[in-house]
Amino acid sequence: MPLTLRRAAALLLGALYLPLVAAADNQPTHEFFLDNGLKVIVREDHRAPVVVSQLWYKVGSSYETAGQTGLSHALEHMMFKGSRKLDAGEASRILRELGAEENAFTSDDYTAYYQVLARDRLAVAFELEADRLASLKLPPEEFAREIEVIKEERRLRTDDKPSSLAYERFKTIAYPASGYRNPTIGWMDDLNRMQADELRAWYEQWYAPNNATLVVVGDVTAGEVRGLAERFFGGIERRKVPTAKRPLELDEPGERRLRLHVRTQLPTLLMAFNAPSLATEENARQVHALRLISALLDGGYSARLPERLERGEELVTSASAWYDAYARGDSLFVLSAAPNMQKGRTLEEVEAGLWRELDALKEAPPSADELERVRAQVIAGLVYERDSITQQATTIGKLETVGLSWRLMDEELAALEAVTPEDIQQAARSYFTRSRLSVAHVLPEEARDE
Amino acid sequence: MSDCKALRNGLLGLLLAASFGLAGCDEGSTALPRPGEPVKQDVAREAAQPAIASEAATATEKPRLESLSELSDQPLARRKLDIQSWQTAEGAKVLFVEARELPMFDLRLTFSAGSSQDGDVPGLALLTNAMLNEGVEGKDVSAIARGFEGLGADFGNGSYRDMAVVSLRSLSAPDKREPALALFNQVIGQPTFPEDSLQRIKNQLLAGFEFQKQNPGKLASLELFAQLYGNHPYAHPSEGTPESIPAIGVEQLRDFHARAYAAGNAVIALVGDLSREEAEALAAQVSAALPQGPALPTTPSPQPPAAGKHHIDFPSNQSHLMLAQLGIPRGHPDYAALYLGNQILGGGGFGTRLMEEVREKRGLTYGIYSGFSPMRAEGPFMISMQTRAELTDGALELVQQLVRDYLADGPTEAELERSKREIAGSFPLSTASNADIVGQLGSIGFYGLPLTYLEDFMGEIQALTVEQVKNAMNKHLQEDAFVIVTAGPSVEQQPLPPPSEKPIEQPSGVPEH
Repeated sequence: MPLTLRRAAALLLGALYLPLVAAADNQPTHEFFLDNGLKVIVREDHRAPVVVSQLWYKVGSSYETAGQTGLSHALEHMMFKGSRKLDAGEASRILRELGAEENAFTSDDYTAYYQVLARDRLAVAFELEADRLASLKLPPEEFAREIEVIKEERRLRTDDKPSSLAYERFKTIAYPASGYRNPTIGWMDDLNRMQADELRAWYEQWYAPNNATLVVVGDVTAGEVRGLAERFFGGIERRKVPTAKRPLELDEPGERRLRLHVRTQLPTLLMAFNAPSLATEENARQVHALRLISALLDGGYSARLPERLERGEELVTSASAWYDAYARGDSLFVLSAAPNMQKGRTLEEVEAGLWRELDALKEAPPSADELERVRAQVIAGLVYERDSITQQATTIGKLETVGLSWRLMDEELAALEAVTPEDIQQAARSYFTRSRLSVAHVLPEEARDE
Repeated sequence: MSDCKALRNGLLGLLLAASFGLAGCDEGSTALPRPGEPVKQDVAREAAQPAIASEAATATEKPRLESLSELSDQPLARRKLDIQSWQTAEGAKVLFVEARELPMFDLRLTFSAGSSQDGDVPGLALLTNAMLNEGVEGKDVSAIARGFEGLGADFGNGSYRDMAVVSLRSLSAPDKREPALALFNQVIGQPTFPEDSLQRIKNQLLAGFEFQKQNPGKLASLELFAQLYGNHPYAHPSEGTPESIPAIGVEQLRDFHARAYAAGNAVIALVGDLSREEAEALAAQVSAALPQGPALPTTPSPQPPAAGKHHIDFPSNQSHLMLAQLGIPRGHPDYAALYLGNQILGGGGFGTRLMEEVREKRGLTYGIYSGFSPMRAEGPFMISMQTRAELTDGALELVQQLVRDYLADGPTEAELERSKREIAGSFPLSTASNADIVGQLGSIGFYGLPLTYLEDFMGEIQALTVEQVKNAMNKHLQEDAFVIVTAGPSVEQQPLPPPSEKPIEQPSGVPEH
């Protein structure tokens, strides 16, 4: 970054914008389509001679129907089990020998595969990824073993983890209408009856170049990525993909309550309000207001929940708030908390305490000082995010895959600046209502008889 | 931009990682175990060929991978790492890398102030570390938090067995950097340890102990360290115990801070948008802000534990299995050979012997890893996995047999070459980000390694022979010396399913690169 440009930027925009201008200047981002519909996004980052390649498919557990939950995730596992040029596990062994990091992840809205490697080796990542997009084998004997691995994964991450188990159950009441109720790993009954040919059909339905986004961030140029992408992905034919409908929820499904007994020592509380996302709400300021509310409540150690409930009243030992504005369909604003048992606090008191904080947001707009602190964190966070090529690629891939634009990441600051204190108050009044609420009291098993 | 946030507090992160914060991120599931734990490698006794085979080995019907044959054999480039090092007037060691690309910097202080310095008060080191940002003269915990957060600065702390860490990430513009650093210096140098905060944090720790009781993996790990280390300072958990925590008082924290957070006991790692002069000034201020004093005495060597098997009855679906024996301290001359040897056995992702046999051929587990964790004193060598409860005994036997075979036969030539290439190939990734670099600097400084450590290590790895790796593994590991801990339900045991009959596939042929 030339010093002169930095100075000029400071003069023009004020010190506040300086870091953003400085960081963005080094990272041109390019976007293009191959003829077969594969979308490619390249962000240059020349700090180190490494590159991350991520291929994002628009399919995940929210696309699944009852009885077939876990298909997207199981298919992700089987993508490592061989294709035309590759035997089962071979791609992983090749990447390992090249010193690459690789992995894949499935969520409700997407399935993504990635490799991080030395920049000269990007072609290998593309060739392996293209081969399994074009010609997956899905051998039945491999599936028979892999489904057992998946069941172990479910036991490890859900069945033997009371907090995950509780959240899985909770989602079934919080999302009465949409596929977001499906657990990504799948219900155990569905894993038990899953067949290899269902995976074949799922693969053929969704794994098409025109249903995917290739994101590359690192020490590369748009020209070389385009050449490699055309060479390895260009020959794969476009296919007709089913229309994917956004997962829409009832706006006001009515208050829902759940009492769960799990193998835990301490009770916890979950609360969620049905709310739109950036993809389903036309008025983006409403959504950004909810994001700021999440930050006001839990954006740092000085935020309201830790300051007031954890340290002030000592009502909880922990409390958190989160809201995913970047979903393909309607979203949830979620709160969770564990009562301070040493102080004899109960779940009922915690629930009332969280409501006090929500009502406070309705009654008075946040102070300028408080908002300024949230914004300062956002601004710095945008710079810090650029220290990781993987994080940048993931942000781009997620935005694109839920039907938004990667450009939103560069417009983040302006979007949040546009939100007024009154917008925040209004959003709290609109969304924190009983008719949008789901509550779960997660209790130890010994309390079952009470 | 991701609205998933990391747990904001190292203390809570340690204790409450199993709580609901993770579900909010809902990044779903992955086909591969997450990186970050020691991992394993490729069982391919019959697969004498490297995954990237030589042209001669190639007569295969499968189409070739064209990209592999085009790889250059030139050494890989990596980010230039000009490590500068000096001592402050008060005796703190400084390691600095100038990185001007992003307008930010990372500062990481590492103290020899982990739980191995607890003495007879388990949890003292962690409580001291967690209490640093709870109060300074004129500011309570909320004012401190507002101070950092209003500048967009990230304050971080954490306490482990060897080390306690305090870190700051901030924008580098002077109007952000200077106030952030001034507050940071107060926090590390003059914490007031307010009584009400201490009570609250103790309560959170006690709640954390209750949460641990629902986590069989954590229970197994606690038991393993207790069995492995006996009376050694590594034996007790860094977070203390429900018995030790309530009795700890403010005076003990003050004393510990004065001794363990002394400049002579500190390493200052610094990476970012600073000139050498700015870095020197910054390090001098940090060092002067700390209590003055020497390095604490180093940790003694542990006695070898008694081999044996310990079971924790727990009503889960899976059993957690951990096998361990004492490994080596940091800086040990055999480390390169052991690292390479372990990469083949069970370090890394897919392709290790343990992962191939236990997951890929038999579907017994989601992940199985092995690894050496070199510490100030002898750290553990550990293998860990989870499996269906009724297969616990069979899985344990299988793992022990795989280790026995590996110690008896050593790695194959092909496995060795593959792993050497892997380690060389991953080298550029290890210093790619500022966060990566500051972590490397902290480790090099804390363990007193040479500034050329990363290059030296790569050189040593590439020079190793099969015989050297086999000898080193046998010198440090004995097949019958494992301390074994299992946690899970006691159920009737079943035989293991037969392994996949298919031999490991001949990889597609490609000229060596």
